[in-house]
Amino acid sequence: MTDRETLALAVVAAPALTALVAAVAPRRVVPAVAVVGAIASAAAAAALAAVALAQPAHPFIGRYVVVDAAGGLLVGVIGLVGLASALVSPAYLATASTALVRPSRRLHVYYGLLFAFWALLAAVPLIGNLGGAWLLVEATTAASALLVGFSGRPRALEAGWKYLILTSLGLGVALLGIVLLAAGAAHGGLDALSWRDLGDVRAGTHTTLVAYLLLLAGLASKIGWAPVHNWLPDAHSEAPAPVSALLSAALLPAVLLVAWRSSQALAPTIGRSTAQSVLVGFGLLSLAVAVPFLWLHLPWKRLLAYSSLEHMGVIALGVGFGTPLAIAGVALHIAGHAVAKALGFYATTPLLGHEPRAVGHAARGIARTQPTLGAVMGISLGTLAGLPPSPLFASEVLIVAGGFAAGRPWTAGAAAALLALGFLGLAQALIELLAGKARTRNRHAAPGLRGLRLLTGVSIISLALLTAAAFWLPNSDLAQALVRGIG
Amino acid sequence: MSGGLVWVLVALGLGVVVVRRRTIAVGLVTAQALLLAGSALNAATASKATAAVALATRAVALATLLLLVVSRTREGRPVRSGVAPLARGGVAVALALALTWLVPVIGLESRNAERGVLALIAFGAVTVATRSATLHQVLGVVLVENGLALAAVELPGGGSSVAIELGVALDLILVALVATVFHERIFAEFGAGDTTHLRSLR
Repeated sequence: MTDRETLALAVVAAPALTALVAAVAPRRVVPAVAVVGAIASAAAAAALAAVALAQPAHPFIGRYVVVDAAGGLLVGVIGLVGLASALVSPAYLATASTALVRPSRRLHVYYGLLFAFWALLAAVPLIGNLGGAWLLVEATTAASALLVGFSGRPRALEAGWKYLILTSLGLGVALLGIVLLAAGAAHGGLDALSWRDLGDVRAGTHTTLVAYLLLLAGLASKIGWAPVHNWLPDAHSEAPAPVSALLSAALLPAVLLVAWRSSQALAPTIGRSTAQSVLVGFGLLSLAVAVPFLWLHLPWKRLLAYSSLEHMGVIALGVGFGTPLAIAGVALHIAGHAVAKALGFYATTPLLGHEPRAVGHAARGIARTQPTLGAVMGISLGTLAGLPPSPLFASEVLIVAGGFAAGRPWTAGAAAALLALGFLGLAQALIELLAGKARTRNRHAAPGLRGLRLLTGVSIISLALLTAAAFWLPNSDLAQALVRGIG
Repeated sequence: MSGGLVWVLVALGLGVVVVRRRTIAVGLVTAQALLLAGSALNAATASKATAAVALATRAVALATLLLLVVSRTREGRPVRSGVAPLARGGVAVALALALTWLVPVIGLESRNAERGVLALIAFGAVTVATRSATLHQVLGVVLVENGLALAAVELPGGGSSVAIELGVALDLILVALVATVFHERIFAEFGAGDTTHLRSLR
């Protein structure tokens, strides 16, 4: 076993082991186990990300394990968001009054599932095989559906049920695509579906194209691409805030990476332009569907959920354009979106403590009654809107410029117009949030805000570094390695 | 696999779309999976034999789990679907025919098996879309997975990967376990495993 394989094993084993210990440890030590496990898991993820991103031109591509730049980026994001989610979880658990399980098992089940979900998520970018990736993605559904419905409230039950059934059905369609590819493999078995051998399938161009379409249509149901995004707004709204952050900032891009790798692996058979056009189609449709919702006065978490739909569309467009400019934008967008979106979801716990009616109404005038909370939410929303100089502004410019460079001016133009409309919608929500008429006179209550201040400081530094990275990333080895992919 | 056996599997699938009782539907998907396992066991290759064991284990485990849940959540009367059985059957057959027309040759050992796979996937999707009983929706997902198992068994050259067969079986059992947790909570909350009580599943 090589060093990178050992590191990849540690990235998955650390959260998996923490899940096991948290599930069986005495109740009073479970939160401490979670903190220690989260730090160890995040450290392993950071080490792997550093190794993969420092040497992007020399990926490790084994039969079952892949450690490349894209995987390193995703593992880093998952580690960062996982750590932050584990650290803010006590604030959520202290305010949650109901649960899917009996009170004595609440902590064990919550942390056990959270870390199991983290372990499965971390394995998705590292698995060297399409079949294995499908199994892991399906397993994330089982772990995260229970977390979505964790509060046990009727709306959470509905959201969890919808998520479980719709994504399982969608992944069934993706599996049919995988079976079609396996049917065309020269030799059966798991090896035939490894990322490096997937391009060798001899199913015929027509059948491979159908398999690719089925695969992407199925994965789209999990990524939350329109028109199969039906579960996403409900699941993000009803899940505990730390879980919503993991779902949006880590799960969606991790599954998107599977679609990206499939596109790169099958491009030699079905044609690069065709493979990319399907991604561009999903991206543009997701943007078009999301933008009108960004103009509505939606409750905070629901607004963030529709923003996820928009941003997964932007990433799909960047991957679909496929030029170094666009791919540099994609890398920046994945990281910037993760930081801003996670911060936004973490603000939900203090927000609902400060203004309980925000669960069903748009957040208004928060900066007037609770300036710190207003600032945290404003930083998150301003970044997600793409307000200059946020990294998402830079990444969107890179992706649109990449679209023009790819010879798709109409698509890039339409994307720019939709992004501008989305920006205006979120800017309106931002103004309401900061300067609108407040619904509450309560200036004090905001549980969990103290811990959030530290995370906000770290987030601001991270966002500034990401904006600075936009200047060198397009011409870097990293962007070239991401464009090349595993092939 | 003989054409007759494929059409028996399809008929069992259509039965799941139209029947009202949960126990009968569980019996139909279990019979389907066991028939598939028997057929795979009949083939000489080692990988198909392993696939057969995985399928049979999955079928028995799911049947035990789902029947246990049915006995724990007795409904006063079967949950009514908003769509009549005949209409459900009609939509399912129409979707199956449309898929057969749209999807090109897959490359399985027989064209009958390919049609059977597409029909079972269509029936599963229609079951999820038109049934409001929670357990029937889970059975729709199982029906889709049985269709994919048929495809895996009928792959030329010794079937698909053993690791994938085992993984799919494990994943499906996990998903069914989680679904039963939700089903029991929905039953406890609303007095019936009926998704129409939830705000808007579709």
